[in-house]
Amino acid sequence: MTQAHHVVVEVNGVKREADVEPRLLLVHFLRENLGLTGSHIGCDTTSCGACTVLLDGKAVKSCTVLAVQADGRKVTTIEGLGADGKLDRVQEGFVAKHGLQCGFCTPGMVISAYALLQENPDPTEEEIKTAISGNICRCTGYESIIESVKHAAKAGRRRKAPSRPSRRRS
Amino acid sequence: MSVGFVDEEQDPDVRFVRGAGRYVDDIKLEGMQHLYVVRSPYARARVLSVKGGITGDELKATMESVGEDAGGRSTVSFPVLSASYVSYVGQPVAAVLGGDKYEAADKAEEVDVQYEPLKPVMDPERSLESEPIHPGTESNLVAAAELGKDFELKAPVEVDETLRMERIAPNPMETKGMVASYDGSLLTVYASTQSPFSWREGLAGSLGLKEESVRVVQMDTGGGFGSKGGIYPEYVVAAYAAMKTKRPVKWSESRYENLLATNMGRGVRGRMKVYADRKGKLKGLKADLLVDVGAYPLGGGAWTAKWIASQLVGPYAVPKAYATAKAVLTNKVNMGPYRGAGRPEAAFFMERMMDRIADETGVDAAEVRLRNATTRRTISPLGMEAPPSRRFFMEALRAFKYSSRKKKEKVGLSFFMLIPAAYGGESAKLAVKGGRVKVWMGGSSHGQRHDVFAKKLVSEELGVPQDVIDFQHTDTAAISGGVGSWGSRTAILGGGALVEASRSLKAAAKKELGKGYSPARILEGDYEAEAFFKPKDMLNTLGANLATARLTKEGNAVVEEVLSFYDAGKVLNQFMLESQVTGGVAQGVGEVMYERAVYSEDGQLLTASIADAGVIHATEMPKSVVMTAAHRSTLPHGAKGVGESPTIGVPPAATRALEVLLGRRFTTLPIEPEKLWALDVSDGGRTR
Repeated sequence: MTQAHHVVVEVNGVKREADVEPRLLLVHFLRENLGLTGSHIGCDTTSCGACTVLLDGKAVKSCTVLAVQADGRKVTTIEGLGADGKLDRVQEGFVAKHGLQCGFCTPGMVISAYALLQENPDPTEEEIKTAISGNICRCTGYESIIESVKHAAKAGRRRKAPSRPSRRRS
Repeated sequence: MSVGFVDEEQDPDVRFVRGAGRYVDDIKLEGMQHLYVVRSPYARARVLSVKGGITGDELKATMESVGEDAGGRSTVSFPVLSASYVSYVGQPVAAVLGGDKYEAADKAEEVDVQYEPLKPVMDPERSLESEPIHPGTESNLVAAAELGKDFELKAPVEVDETLRMERIAPNPMETKGMVASYDGSLLTVYASTQSPFSWREGLAGSLGLKEESVRVVQMDTGGGFGSKGGIYPEYVVAAYAAMKTKRPVKWSESRYENLLATNMGRGVRGRMKVYADRKGKLKGLKADLLVDVGAYPLGGGAWTAKWIASQLVGPYAVPKAYATAKAVLTNKVNMGPYRGAGRPEAAFFMERMMDRIADETGVDAAEVRLRNATTRRTISPLGMEAPPSRRFFMEALRAFKYSSRKKKEKVGLSFFMLIPAAYGGESAKLAVKGGRVKVWMGGSSHGQRHDVFAKKLVSEELGVPQDVIDFQHTDTAAISGGVGSWGSRTAILGGGALVEASRSLKAAAKKELGKGYSPARILEGDYEAEAFFKPKDMLNTLGANLATARLTKEGNAVVEEVLSFYDAGKVLNQFMLESQVTGGVAQGVGEVMYERAVYSEDGQLLTASIADAGVIHATEMPKSVVMTAAHRSTLPHGAKGVGESPTIGVPPAATRALEVLLGRRFTTLPIEPEKLWALDVSDGGRTR
């Protein structure tokens, strides 16, 4: 084992520290060291998006980030969405429109959709498709997922105040 | 009995969106080790020596044929760990244990395997003239079948064509994996599986254990599509390692390993010849099939060729038919079931010929099909029983608005028959305790959301609300027997078993409670009922697809829309059915345009990432419209199978739509990308 590095990462609002090997992937850090198994590993080529998390608010594939690269930064995983035991509106959308079957791609899909709606609260269908085109689902044929994201966007517009200030669309 | 990993009282949708699904790789047990498998880098080689780790000299076990493709025994045995020779890239030769995945992978570097590479047999067309890949055997022929009677015929229209469906990796989003733990007498296996009972049988058989000393518990399972029904060498090694070390062992493969060493579907060539009159009425059909079964003919290899040949006639009538079919070995990972498993091959071959007859005779493609459809139940000259099809297909054409769409758009059509895998039946169990009803089925949901129809059926039968019903993952310790989820069978067979178990539970409660009986009183008591449902009637059902294709402004041909019209009997849940079908449409279109396993001449898998394997993305998905014809079946709940219908019906319809759009004849799936464009985008080239 090569020399361990000390990392401090804020995960879902909580500061977490660990000594990790430099080669440790962020997704393994989250799953194995912290027990946050909601981020899934579906491939080894950054193709499937099941491991998608937010790193400083941006959607990234945590299989292609080293834990040491997350040092001093903020990570939000699927477990960190929603508050007070309630689902986030994106999660609610996926429940309302059954945007899933086997559930394996779901956490990554939800995070990608969440990131999209932060940037663009009122996406077109094409924009939704593009936003989730780095996430593979083998079960649904994507239609119910797209409907789920639309549902979440609509709920967000109804609520008017998004959970964080969103940037205007350029 | 619950092992406590999965909170089955919580709605699965809610669990999954919270990231609270519990898959095999999420399990952590005290003292658990990780297994890493050392694999052959050669497609064919002699193994001269293996030093380090668990080897085939230590674990002298062979694979049992269990699960969906289980069947005939072959003379070639499939070693769990090969000690003498290897037959495909990725074949396990040794295994090591480590405290975590990284350590286990490091230790694998220390295993020294010496090989003497041999020239592999890669082309199934040349397999029979090549040296046998298994020492001590006479040839690479696995099975040969002859169906129907040979005939001589002169017909005004005679068309022949060689058609191919390339190999496809099933690619469930969750790769394969398991955790094994052993307490000195009981081996407990937590599994990502379509069939815990097949696993129990297979693991017990390979390890020489009694079935009672193996318990298989299904975890949340992230898709299977045929690939998780039987067992793989890695499962046996992981179970053995847990027994040997008396510590829990996890094996969880990477996507790369999944692609190298998971059974692949399709890989079939069909030489078809049809005879027809000038109006497109079939006079005869001849076929010669060649199936590439890969390196080890475990079960399915022995009968797939015959199985495909038997259903070539599909939903049509033909006076004469004759088919020959061969299954041959190559130095590739084994062939196995992939959603449809033989049914899509037969439908693609036959439907392509229907379109050829339409082109040769000038008769409309729908009319050719209707002319050959049937008005009564038939048994084809190749031995397959089919329900009357003409009326259903006329219904489908109306639902598609075929005549008007054909005038405006580039359309392709397919008619087909779905033969659900009804053999063996299926089990279900109910247990009422503490005011809740637990429900099990022998075949396991791995993404189909069987919980939805299961709760509905039990609620309707018992008269209790759905929210007191907990759908359980299959556990061989909780239910006394079962088969598995594949072949469009679980809603019809598992559903039938649920109805029967509910009725017998209700009868027991009525007997006990007498006049005091009410559904609410059931919940106050302790009751159990189990049923094994074996239908007697033929359950073959019909389906039709219509696909449209267009050119993008860049000149690329794409499938624009897919309409499905399936006879699913009484629909148990419309939304789940539509979601199943649309997911299948994605796979069907993927099969036409993108999905393929490509090997180099020396046997290396070139499509070794999920991106290269061609799995469809959101941006490539056509519009899907799902319609059903609800013609009740004779089963207690009236349902019919549907899960595989889209992978059967979509490929021929989408291929035809692209063919009509581009004016090129397509005979091989997937269609090569260089054939899917046009210079002239003025016709049909509406912008995206």
